[in-house]
Amino acid sequence: MIETLLLFREALYGAIIIGVACAVLGVYVVLRRIVFVGAALAQLSSAGIALALWLGGLGLFGTTHGHLIGMSLLLTLAGALFFGLGGGRRYVHHEAVIGVTYAASAAVGILLIAKAASGEGHDIFLQGNVLGMSRHETVELLAVVIPILGLHAALAKEFVFVSFDPETAATLGYRVVRWNLLLYFTIGIVIAFAMQSAGVLLVFNFLVVPAVTGVLIGRTIGQVFAVSIAAAVLAAAVGFGASIPLDLPTGPAIAAVSALLALLAWSARRLRRE
Amino acid sequence: MTALIRFDGVALGYGRRAVVEQLDFSLEPGDFLGLVGPNGSGKTTIIRAMLGTLSPSAGRLTRAPGLRLGYVPQRDQVDSLYPLRVSDVVTMGRYDRIAIGRRPGPRDREAALRALDQVGVADLADRLLAGLSGGQKQRVLIARALVGEPNVLVLDEPTNGMDLVSTTQILGLVRDLHEQAKLTVVMVSHALNEVANYVAKIGLVFGGRLRLGAVADIINEPVLQSVYGIPVQVHSFDGHRVVVARSVSGGAKR
Repeated sequence: MIETLLLFREALYGAIIIGVACAVLGVYVVLRRIVFVGAALAQLSSAGIALALWLGGLGLFGTTHGHLIGMSLLLTLAGALFFGLGGGRRYVHHEAVIGVTYAASAAVGILLIAKAASGEGHDIFLQGNVLGMSRHETVELLAVVIPILGLHAALAKEFVFVSFDPETAATLGYRVVRWNLLLYFTIGIVIAFAMQSAGVLLVFNFLVVPAVTGVLIGRTIGQVFAVSIAAAVLAAAVGFGASIPLDLPTGPAIAAVSALLALLAWSARRLRRE
Repeated sequence: MTALIRFDGVALGYGRRAVVEQLDFSLEPGDFLGLVGPNGSGKTTIIRAMLGTLSPSAGRLTRAPGLRLGYVPQRDQVDSLYPLRVSDVVTMGRYDRIAIGRRPGPRDREAALRALDQVGVADLADRLLAGLSGGQKQRVLIARALVGEPNVLVLDEPTNGMDLVSTTQILGLVRDLHEQAKLTVVMVSHALNEVANYVAKIGLVFGGRLRLGAVADIINEPVLQSVYGIPVQVHSFDGHRVVVARSVSGGAKR
């Protein structure tokens, strides 16, 4: 079994990298109550992949890894810009706009995939293909994730302030819309790159569930980030480790472990009576 | 005396919707101004303009050079889901002095402790904000405004949702800051009885206009009845004004 695990070690590394990146950004997603923005951006990202595959089938666009990421990134960042500027808020509630985006991008993505000549995007819509990750993809993920996490480590004070109390931040000269856009863009970039191998389910799971575990367990904001990262790494390792001998799909196995950790955190919180 | 903030024919609104117009007044050093009026009349809009987060759609708004405003937002605007320590929240009031990407230093933390001490809650420094009572939370938010060493303290509905004891304590604290620390104060409230007995000047916001004057000129029966559209009585007990709205039919269906 060890040999099998070693054979897929790039998948484990990739899942951990995606997990850590999403766990950090997910703290903002959960604390700001923008969980469905994460879901909608992940769907937009998958619709981008589907669009690239469909256009590729028609001979109008390339279908290389770079082309897929490019189109996915384009749609995700457009979504991040739209949500970051509070798009559509004038006539209906922001949550409804996010819901419409989610449903529309999911439907369009599935329809495009159904008509695409290449069927390689099918799995991406739900469980991804973590086991298919190569060393090249892991390195590419690292190259994207390290600068983004570095940026977030450097600007944690600012991101926490504008998330916690945007009105007061604005009175102190913070350009809140720009900070929100920067946050949304970093979330969008991570989603677009993670989607290629992890799929909607796992990316959305990593964006939300470890952060929820962190919020349930952490007593300070620093602890929330630490627990969120630890929960993502643990879920990736245990889910991956269990999925191979038990012949289970890796993405859903990791998501299930992640949910179990959140359940344990909820129980612990109840016992702590807070 | 140079005005701290001057409104010259200012109109304020959101998009094409005008909320208040023809604002012509100034905030002078040492003022204790209460902004009152019905819900949705534009009180918060006026303080947003003072704070610089809302630009006038017409007219001219000028601030004295070097003016520093300390803002105390409505308590429920501060999200209790965030597990933030009181000292960290208060330190946020100095973030405009700390370069982007830099962490608060010992001087910032000392200033935060001094501000907490000034409002009488230094012992709460290591507690989580979310675990505090309404009155304690309000004191912490006032400390955060004070830590930036403002010339003007701007409070938005500081006693909203508080019990009688907490309300009295918070208003007493704000009055002490005005009298002892010589702070200019602007306080928004929909609670006439609270504001009328603490401030020196009142701005009544209604019908898209501001009517500014001494407390006695604004808190009287003819003015309040014309604004609120219901019978109102103003009594005086032991030097305190008490505004009583006489009951009117609520329009319930029979």
